[in-house]
Amino acid sequence: MGAEVSDIPWGLVLILLPLMGGMACFLWPRVTTMLGLVTVFGVALSVAGLGWQILENGVYRHAVGGWGAPLGIDLYADGLSLLMLTATALVGLGVSVYSAAYFRREDATRFWPLWLFLLAGLNALFLSADIFNLYVTLELMGLAAVALAALTGGKDALGGAMRYLLAALLGSLAYLLGVALLYHGFGTVDITLLGQRVESGPVLWAALGLMGAGLLLKTAVFPLHFWLPPAHASAPAPVSALLSALVVKASFYILLRLWLSIFGPLVGEEGVDTLLGLLGATAVLWGSVQALRQTRLKLLIAYSTVAQIGYLFLAFPLAAAAGVTAWHAVIYLAFSHALAKAAMFLVAGNLLRFGGHDRIADLDRVVQRLPLTTGAFALAGVSIMGLPPSGGFIGKWLLLEMALAQGRWDLVVVMILGGLLAAGYIFKVLGRAFTQAEVTHKSRAVPACMEWAALLLAIGAVLLGFLAVPVLSVVGIGDPFGVSGVRP
Amino acid sequence: MDRNRWLVLPLILALAVGLGYAVLSLPERTDGLQKMVADKMEVSGVSNPVTAVLLNFRGYDTLLEMVVLLLALLGVWSLGGAALHREAAPGPVLDTLARLLVPVLILVAAYLLWVGAHAPGGAFQAGSVLGAAGVLLLLVGWRLRPGLTAWPLRLILVAGPGAFVIMAIFTLLIERQLLEYPPAQAGALILLLETAATLSIGVTLAALFLGERPQDKGSK
Repeated sequence: MGAEVSDIPWGLVLILLPLMGGMACFLWPRVTTMLGLVTVFGVALSVAGLGWQILENGVYRHAVGGWGAPLGIDLYADGLSLLMLTATALVGLGVSVYSAAYFRREDATRFWPLWLFLLAGLNALFLSADIFNLYVTLELMGLAAVALAALTGGKDALGGAMRYLLAALLGSLAYLLGVALLYHGFGTVDITLLGQRVESGPVLWAALGLMGAGLLLKTAVFPLHFWLPPAHASAPAPVSALLSALVVKASFYILLRLWLSIFGPLVGEEGVDTLLGLLGATAVLWGSVQALRQTRLKLLIAYSTVAQIGYLFLAFPLAAAAGVTAWHAVIYLAFSHALAKAAMFLVAGNLLRFGGHDRIADLDRVVQRLPLTTGAFALAGVSIMGLPPSGGFIGKWLLLEMALAQGRWDLVVVMILGGLLAAGYIFKVLGRAFTQAEVTHKSRAVPACMEWAALLLAIGAVLLGFLAVPVLSVVGIGDPFGVSGVRP
Repeated sequence: MDRNRWLVLPLILALAVGLGYAVLSLPERTDGLQKMVADKMEVSGVSNPVTAVLLNFRGYDTLLEMVVLLLALLGVWSLGGAALHREAAPGPVLDTLARLLVPVLILVAAYLLWVGAHAPGGAFQAGSVLGAAGVLLLLVGWRLRPGLTAWPLRLILVAGPGAFVIMAIFTLLIERQLLEYPPAQAGALILLLETAATLSIGVTLAALFLGERPQDKGSK
């Protein structure tokens, strides 16, 4: 029995299962929620299976069609892919349990197929080792995300989704043009082979500019974040959670992969890393200040995403000297932000359901009436602020330590200011949760599983703070950061 | 508005110049994958290199693309109801044209599907022609009978991606890599996949033209 389970190609199940689930949900709308939940649980188990295989046998590689790169497409999973898949599965589980109670039947029949296709797109993206295949997964993910963002169908949602669609398409097309240039210049679309073949020149710079700009747009890095707040704030709460926690991380993951294997070694010392760091620093400050100014909870959380994405880019200028530690910090931040931000949006959904609004000023003592939900917000806030013990703390601490060691006082100041501003907007919400509002509203009950889903995700973000050693040793499998980690 | 234009214009010009320079500096001839594709044509099951790449060498991309197409339709449907606009009765010209053209288009689609194995053609071209026939039918006011809008329509829409996924599982079950066809049967299996894909592509395109989700019986 054990031998049979270890023979199952879990990496392929991760892609095929949600595709089948999505089609099944489309064919049998009456049982869509049940089909969806079963699929998501199956995907979570498959991630565990793949993780076990990777721990036992090292990196996972599968030559689709039996051709092998460069003729065919290779699927590839190392520690970095595994971590992103795990984050996707955990957030996916939490959001799915939540959604089972959140959506009414009519909306559920539209939500589940889209979400399962999004899940398939995410899994396929994290397993891909081919820049054209990555484009296809980007399209799959992007279209599903846009359709999900428009799900409520109101004026705000449609406007936000339309902007999101245009930004996402522009980003994909810029990326695709870069793929075409790289293929024509170097004769392959396989990431590993490209890494061996590329040489500096106008083609490489044009490809970097196009793919970089496209992916930065999709990742919503300042100043290309304009589409994110309206899209994330007007979507249904579980969708906002998926978009903020996973979808923006996926395009960041592609950027990171391309940087590590193709672009970084050639152009890293030409100031591109400084530019990325500058964008990140501006995003941290701008996003945090905007978050502090918001009067609606979902917009506050959305701007907080803009700020937290900025932190991921602070690692680029530090990586030249600090090497692998910088990427460890990034991974930790991405993982803990995924859990914490998903929890926060689910909290916002609970409060919307409870009070019928998400105006921060009128939260009206929800701490007494929804203690689990408020607790989830506080715990997620601990990780977002970067307080110990939490995943966010580990990531930010690593970044801060590197910046201090390299004498980058500008980055140190940005990080400390960002942390203080984050504390400001988190406590602004928590403070209102304790005080009585002037106007009271009628309230509706919130199902227990919606409260628990938010709380468990937030607890996960805090627990990550205790798991640094095992998590970072798993990330190192297959040496994903080796190329630019050991630069002389 | 005007100020924006003056800001955007130099940016676009700079982008065009930069891209132009990059394109001009591309090597005249690179050793792409053409030679490798040519070497493997014999075992691909077809003799048209484009079909071999789309359905065999990079069939996994096409699997995902089929899902993207379905997703586009799901996205449009989930936007909910634009009111069904009642068209005026089609004029005699359009009516006659549709009667003449639709059977021809269906024949052309079948031909394109078949010819794709060894000449330009294939599922995407055939599907587009089929989609055009569907659009023509919708323009003259033809609609699916209510009984067919639920299950039968959905089944045809998922036939393409569904066939790919079933094929993927089948290849795994016979202990091969994902979508690795046995060389002897590759041609037949590819034709099977393309037939399902053609149907789905055609119906999806026509449904995208219609826009709103056809109402099932009973649900409103």
